[in-house]
Amino acid sequence: MSRVRLQGLTRRFGSVTAVDDVWLDVADGELLVLLGPSGCGKSTLLRMIAGLLPPTAGRVLLDDTDVTTVPPQRRDVAMVFQSYALYPHLSVAGNIGFPLRARRRSRADIRRKVTEVAGALDLSALLDRKPRELSGGQRQRVALGRALVRDPGAFLMDEPLSNLDARLRATTRAEIAELHRALGATIVYVTHDQVEAMTMATRVAVLDQGRVEQAGTPAEVYDEPASVFVATFLGAPAMNIVPATVVATDGGLTVRATDLDLPLGIDATTPGRDVLLGVRPEHLTLTGEPGIRAVVTAVENLGGDEVAHCRAGTHTLAVRGPRPLRLAAGDRVGLTARPEHLHLFDPGTGGRLVWRTADIATPERNFA
Amino acid sequence: MTTDTRLRRITGHVVLTVLSIACAFPIYWLYATSLRAPGDVHSLTILPWPLSTANYAAAFANNDVARMLANTAIVALLSAAGQLLVGLLAAYAFAAWTFPLRRTLYLMFVGTWLVPFQATMLPNYVLLARLGLLETLAGVIIPNLCSALGVLLLREHLAGFPKELLDAARMDGRSSWNILWTVVVPVIRPALAALGILLVITAWNEYFWPAMVLQRGNAVVQLGLRSFMGTEGNDWGPLMATAGLACLPVFVLYLVLQRHIVQAFVRSGLK
Repeated sequence: MSRVRLQGLTRRFGSVTAVDDVWLDVADGELLVLLGPSGCGKSTLLRMIAGLLPPTAGRVLLDDTDVTTVPPQRRDVAMVFQSYALYPHLSVAGNIGFPLRARRRSRADIRRKVTEVAGALDLSALLDRKPRELSGGQRQRVALGRALVRDPGAFLMDEPLSNLDARLRATTRAEIAELHRALGATIVYVTHDQVEAMTMATRVAVLDQGRVEQAGTPAEVYDEPASVFVATFLGAPAMNIVPATVVATDGGLTVRATDLDLPLGIDATTPGRDVLLGVRPEHLTLTGEPGIRAVVTAVENLGGDEVAHCRAGTHTLAVRGPRPLRLAAGDRVGLTARPEHLHLFDPGTGGRLVWRTADIATPERNFA
Repeated sequence: MTTDTRLRRITGHVVLTVLSIACAFPIYWLYATSLRAPGDVHSLTILPWPLSTANYAAAFANNDVARMLANTAIVALLSAAGQLLVGLLAAYAFAAWTFPLRRTLYLMFVGTWLVPFQATMLPNYVLLARLGLLETLAGVIIPNLCSALGVLLLREHLAGFPKELLDAARMDGRSSWNILWTVVVPVIRPALAALGILLVITAWNEYFWPAMVLQRGNAVVQLGLRSFMGTEGNDWGPLMATAGLACLPVFVLYLVLQRHIVQAFVRSGLK
């Protein structure tokens, strides 16, 4: 297995910059998820790692070899495509064996390897079928098998689960995670599904407009989002974002907006500073002594949980908690959140703000 | 069922019946005439009786019909094969590769389709004369080795070819040339077969160009028909017999590959 390094990788299409100066280091055996909305450049980035698309600038390194100009057939990486891209004229065995035939391995060698991989993926009974005779989940496993059979340095996966139904997606997700553990494989995995990212990744790189907004463990990107974009992209419902001001009061620093007054738990003084306050729906709790005075506008039932949409001043806030929340539209509620669950962002750049030391007068921007 | 829809159905059937009789009758008449006894050739009875193979015997006596059919087959198969190969390579390049002036080159390629045959026949004829290829089958075949129609149809077909399949094959270790033969050709085989049949039939039916190149001999069957047309009148019996033989391979092809041929014509109309 290999280490994959991207150094300043950039791709422009005409005047559009699809991937903008991406630096990532995928360690040997890591499962890195490239996460972002459609059009964020994650698939373009993957195609550049594969060698299917030449970068405008930057380098791709496999272990210590610069493979930027090496064509895909001579890079030691395998790819699983969103559409599976199975060869319709070949049987399952033919599809799985295809990369080996391209490498002119002996027939006996190919047969042995195909049997082995098919066994591992529970495809042994289907080896003579054509792709069109397979279910979606089976096709997906054949596509996986075709990648596995090569023993590549790294696997690239482009939204491999997006064509499966919800139940199958959950089981296949677990299978891929298991495969990753068993093989110790280096995997770069593209998805727009935050659940896949949170559950499978050893590290997540969140992309927006071709740039890496944040790269870190799933817990890091969820608990300490580096920007408003990352904060709102992860989590369901999305993190509440409210324009507010940090002011100094008798009890220390407080963040304030209309009908909102939450202590930051920092004993210091500061001149007033405009911020964006972020707080996750599950971190807002109902309380008697209001930090936030709100009116419930609607309640959604998610099964185990309920989400109450509330209005505070001119802002809407989502509150998530175990069902029943015992709220109804029109109720007046008081809400609060613990200081460690309050996120502050710069209104101009969207970057995360952290309080560094007591003697610095203003909170400082910090990019993770 | 209401009277109205029933009436519409009946009208439809009547129209289609009349049309199919109009199409099929000349062909029936061709074979009917060819099977009449030599004295009855101008008979107008619907059923030829007594049946006679004398016209066929006369046709074979007059011309080397077997040889002419074989020559026609060679011309049709080789020019169709050439057009398929050129079409496949050009269409693959235009559909799967990006290179400078791709669009312009493609339009120029396809634009040759708009140049009328009458404009190119003289230059081609002169060139063949210089090359010493007049009166040879090669002279008939070589100028027909490439057809814009083949390039156009195959390119349109390949434009709909899943790009991820080509990418997958590259990732799996195949070169572009290998991908063409191990992935593209097997997958588009139905389209290739359909186009091939269309090209074979077109080449088989070609009359004018062979007539120019092969002025002295009667090397293809369409020209053999000429030998029964003379200033003293036409020798209808053997003429019909030869024409009947000339049509036969196309009919057989049609009967065997009916589905593919209909598909070929539908494709050439729509895509």
